[in-house]
Amino acid sequence: MSRLHAWLAPKTVVHAHCDIPCGIYDPAGAVTAARTVARMVELIGQIEAGSTAVADRNKFIRCVTVKEQHAELVKHEVQVIWSDYFKPEHLAANPDLHTKVWNLLKLAGKNKQSVDAEAAAQLEAAVKEFSDIFWSTKK
Amino acid sequence: MRPTLEPGDWLLTDPTVGSWPRRGSIVVVREPGSDVLAIKRVAARPGDVVRAQDGPIRLSPTQAWLLGDDRERSIDSRRYGPVELDRLVARAWFRYGPWRRIGRLASVLPPRPGQATG
Repeated sequence: MSRLHAWLAPKTVVHAHCDIPCGIYDPAGAVTAARTVARMVELIGQIEAGSTAVADRNKFIRCVTVKEQHAELVKHEVQVIWSDYFKPEHLAANPDLHTKVWNLLKLAGKNKQSVDAEAAAQLEAAVKEFSDIFWSTKK
Repeated sequence: MRPTLEPGDWLLTDPTVGSWPRRGSIVVVREPGSDVLAIKRVAARPGDVVRAQDGPIRLSPTQAWLLGDDRERSIDSRRYGPVELDRLVARAWFRYGPWRRIGRLASVLPPRPGQATG
């Protein structure tokens, strides 16, 4: 039966594309994740410094956890688009692409290691620039 | 292309160009930019006027406007603009698997101009 199945099955796969599809080619995921990192830094800043209240510590830990997860998500989403989507002609049009991605990924790491509103803002800006480069290749 | 198509569907396609793209037909297309093989529905054909984000566009004699049936989630001409006809690969006209979903794929005409677009 499985030989028949293999013979009957189509050889070509087509994609119907949902919104954040199968890891394919939309920087919106990275943009949202970067915004989340910035928001978590903001929320952490609103917790009373040095508070030992359980509610505050709970919130602090949850915010740090989400910051960590979304900084990692930024790295993953950017890396997939960088490695899988961009082609030589895109690099020719954006010769500093690799450097920008390298710096972006390092910045995401920095946002994990610190709670820094400035670094979070820089990450959002870097991801926006990456997104602009991506969409410029679609024109 | 949900709910019309589900992942895993096996489709028969007709690669002959003929008089297509007919409005309402489901086509396999090499997507602009990524060259990924995608499947979308023809919402408008050459000469039609479509309502794009920046305003109405008239499709040139070599362009079509494609929309996915899952309007909310689909990435389609609303995102990547008109599609050149030479990117159209085939028309999907019949689903032959899975067993329970065997049957012709219906042509579904999009709403007329002036009605809500995607």
